[in-house]
Amino acid sequence: MLDFWLNALSPLNLLLALLGVAAGTIIGSIPGLTATMAVAVLVPLTFTMAPDSALILMGAIYTGAIYGGAYAAILLNTPGTPSAIATTFDGYPMAKRGDGDLAVSIACLASVAGGLVGALALLIFAPPLAEAALAFGPVEYFWLAIFGLSLIAALSTGDFLKGVIGACFGLLIAMIGISETSAEVRFTFGSSTLLGGIETVSALIGLYCIPVLIDLVATPNKHLQEPEDTRGFRLPEAVMALARNKFNLIRSSVIGTMVGALPGAGGSIAGLVAYSEARRSNKGDEKFGEGNPGGIIATESANNATVGGGFIPTLVLGIPGTPPDAVILGALLVQGVRTGPSLFSEGADIVYTFIFGLLLATVLMLPVGLLIGRFAYRAIVQAPKAALVPAVAFMTVIGTFAIRNSVSDIVIMIVLGVIGWLASKRGFSASPIVLGLILGRIAEQGFVQSWTIGDAIGDLWGQFFGRPLSMVIIALTVLSFLYPFWPQIKKLVIKSSGEPVLDRDPAPRNAVLRDLASLVVFGGIALIAISQSASLNQEAAVFPRTIAIAMFALTALAVIKLFITRHVTEVAVEGSWLRMTAVPVMMLGAIALLPIFGFQSSAILMGLALILPAQHEAYSAKGWVILVTGVAAIIFCFTLLFKEVLGVPLP
Amino acid sequence: MKFRTSIIAAALSAVASIAAAEDFPAGSVDYVIPFGPGGESDITARFQQPFFEKLYGQQLVVSYKPGGGGAVGWSQLNSMAGDGSVIMGINLPHIVIKPQQGDVGFKTEDVTAVYMFHYTPDAIVVKADSDFKSLQDLIDHAKANPKQVIFSGSGKGTANHLAQVQFDALAGIETTYVAFKGTGAAVAALLGNQVKAEWGYTTVGAKQGDKVRMLAVAMEERHPAFPDVPTFRELGFDLVSGAYRGVAVPNSASEETRKQVSDAIAAINADPDFQKQMLDGGFALLDVGYGDSMNAFLTEKAEGYIGAAKAAGIIE
Repeated sequence: MLDFWLNALSPLNLLLALLGVAAGTIIGSIPGLTATMAVAVLVPLTFTMAPDSALILMGAIYTGAIYGGAYAAILLNTPGTPSAIATTFDGYPMAKRGDGDLAVSIACLASVAGGLVGALALLIFAPPLAEAALAFGPVEYFWLAIFGLSLIAALSTGDFLKGVIGACFGLLIAMIGISETSAEVRFTFGSSTLLGGIETVSALIGLYCIPVLIDLVATPNKHLQEPEDTRGFRLPEAVMALARNKFNLIRSSVIGTMVGALPGAGGSIAGLVAYSEARRSNKGDEKFGEGNPGGIIATESANNATVGGGFIPTLVLGIPGTPPDAVILGALLVQGVRTGPSLFSEGADIVYTFIFGLLLATVLMLPVGLLIGRFAYRAIVQAPKAALVPAVAFMTVIGTFAIRNSVSDIVIMIVLGVIGWLASKRGFSASPIVLGLILGRIAEQGFVQSWTIGDAIGDLWGQFFGRPLSMVIIALTVLSFLYPFWPQIKKLVIKSSGEPVLDRDPAPRNAVLRDLASLVVFGGIALIAISQSASLNQEAAVFPRTIAIAMFALTALAVIKLFITRHVTEVAVEGSWLRMTAVPVMMLGAIALLPIFGFQSSAILMGLALILPAQHEAYSAKGWVILVTGVAAIIFCFTLLFKEVLGVPLP
Repeated sequence: MKFRTSIIAAALSAVASIAAAEDFPAGSVDYVIPFGPGGESDITARFQQPFFEKLYGQQLVVSYKPGGGGAVGWSQLNSMAGDGSVIMGINLPHIVIKPQQGDVGFKTEDVTAVYMFHYTPDAIVVKADSDFKSLQDLIDHAKANPKQVIFSGSGKGTANHLAQVQFDALAGIETTYVAFKGTGAAVAALLGNQVKAEWGYTTVGAKQGDKVRMLAVAMEERHPAFPDVPTFRELGFDLVSGAYRGVAVPNSASEETRKQVSDAIAAINADPDFQKQMLDGGFALLDVGYGDSMNAFLTEKAEGYIGAAKAAGIIE
């Protein structure tokens, strides 16, 4: 064992771990650049390395990228990677009130702790955990997805019905394109653009980030509360927060390890499940979703624990635990390393050197992550809006493009962003929609597979409800769904505070009409989905049809409720409509110019154009020059970086 | 480092394009894989990458354009540059089956296939402790218990799925096929006893070693890495199938460019080190070059696929 330690600590491996974590953190912080992509870009570099060094570099990049996703989640309300979705729930409210620096430090500590738990589990319990993960069948995956959806009850601040309707909408969007379960073309309305479906990460960027941008330009207010003085890393406070949340931290790290070890589940589900459990067992006064550090701790420790957890099936069974693991397995195969069960038994030196390297990389994440986090925080807090908006808008565009090298994904991202903004103002928050989108495909696959198996053995009921593991997950799901209603069940009326504004007097007529209009739109979407399902074969239609019927029924229920109570949940729109409209219009305009000017020039044009709606302060001539050259330079450098270093074929 | 080489490559290609109109490779070549990273299409392209650079001194840059089971990439193939600077991975049965399922943005004849370089043969895989010691055991059990032999497999309308349909017809049995997302998930279902057997690939046998047993492989000859595993033909079932992979160019490419790309891939396939790597991984090599042989090969495969897909109800 000592030999492996020494091997992992060789100067080269140490340097690779350090570089990997730093590069991964930066890549992960850019929305759209996922851990999978970060690892895939590196593969050609690893051809010339020793297998253990290659593994350490890839493991370090991977773990860094998963942590880096927290920055954008906290500072821009946009998960940098899908794993950081639940980080936005409390991270962004913390940043809003001026605690962004603390939130970033807490995220770093939690990520390191979770990463260590996952890596230690990989070191000590890998073979038995790999066997245990195999007990998870299609039915369990189905119920796990439903369990993830139970978070909706908590996330739909103010209006549970609207949350569920939003989730159904997300589930239906996830069905667009060629179905993975039945290979049928669904809901594309004859458009070949939609064949590939809605890319989850670009939808995430659209639904979370575009509304932030639109609200940013609307008013001259600061993006985040700025602290009076620089307070360093606020480490003591962060450590205190972790100490207060020690059970949450341990539980979430274990959840992350377990979910990571399930082939195909990955960081986003681990984060959501851990968040859901942390919220359910929260005994403190501070509510989740309004800036409770416990939410960040749960999500960030869980998603970094999936790194070590995901390597368990990867190294023990040769079955990738998460998408980045699939890439890493491929790289090893190209190197001539025999992956599969024999790797763990025969290739012990590579495996153990790698595990120690992963532990090392996780520890290195502490200084590296704190430093980069500090820089990211300062940059976002101090940047004038007129520079922040163009830079972030550009990141969303290039990040979205980079996922599948697809221009139409950018258009879909912007359109979904506008839909998300409109919906959120009408009281349909983005998170339930995103949850539906992420969990929809997993739920459907598990459902159709279980149905097929149950049908073959002639015991559908037993297949869905009779398996011990499923029963546990079903019980947790029921608890999770009911939890937010305990107060009501106990006849305690809790006054919700903050956004969205809960107006419990009967709403004025116009507000009722606005609400009705939004419900009619969603009801219409449900009807379209039902009619479209009629032309599909049974296997492809059963899931979306069920969801669409439920969505229609819920919409009808919401309309009835609206007329009886005349209560309307909505968020007031503030600021200049002209400026707000300009953001998506300018972005789409730049995409239209792409074929003429190429990516780089169009992106620079877009950035410069976006200065106008984002600029609320008067600048001197010199200030203008600095601003314009600064924005152009940022975009110019980043496109070069993407093209040359990351090998993204920009048009 | 990559930056420098691409500058040099760009300079070289500029010089080359002035010097000779048709020179392959004139610079670095983009190799677009219409699937995500980590799958077999990616891995086999990565296998080719270093050999291409060794043979031609130019970079082969792998990029991904996933979506719609390959359809997104193939529907954009003909809008790419036809000067030999872009090649794209192609897969069978995908390029035959997808366009039959509706409008997927491309037709099979839009794809200019210039070389098929390997295939991953279909195989029936069971766990090492399974009661099915031979293919006959499985057939007997399936005959006595219709639909009760449940297979996992990768996807719908894929090589695995079509093989299951064809084999059921050949053996006169009725089994159940459960589609999983990718081979990894299908293997996990097998190892976790969620299913009785897997319609998988020889690569599964290569990877899982003595944890699994292959009952038969859908090849013409036995696989060199598994001399003890019989072919379906030996056992009396005429089944040779798998996931075939090759390379296509945009249809604007000249005859000369098509031939040059075909020859380049052939040269990689002829390298003994490349062959060893592929065989060790459980793949089976194949050499179908541009021209009449390719047309004949694609026509023959398409007939079999479309028949099986119709029988399975995947296409009308």
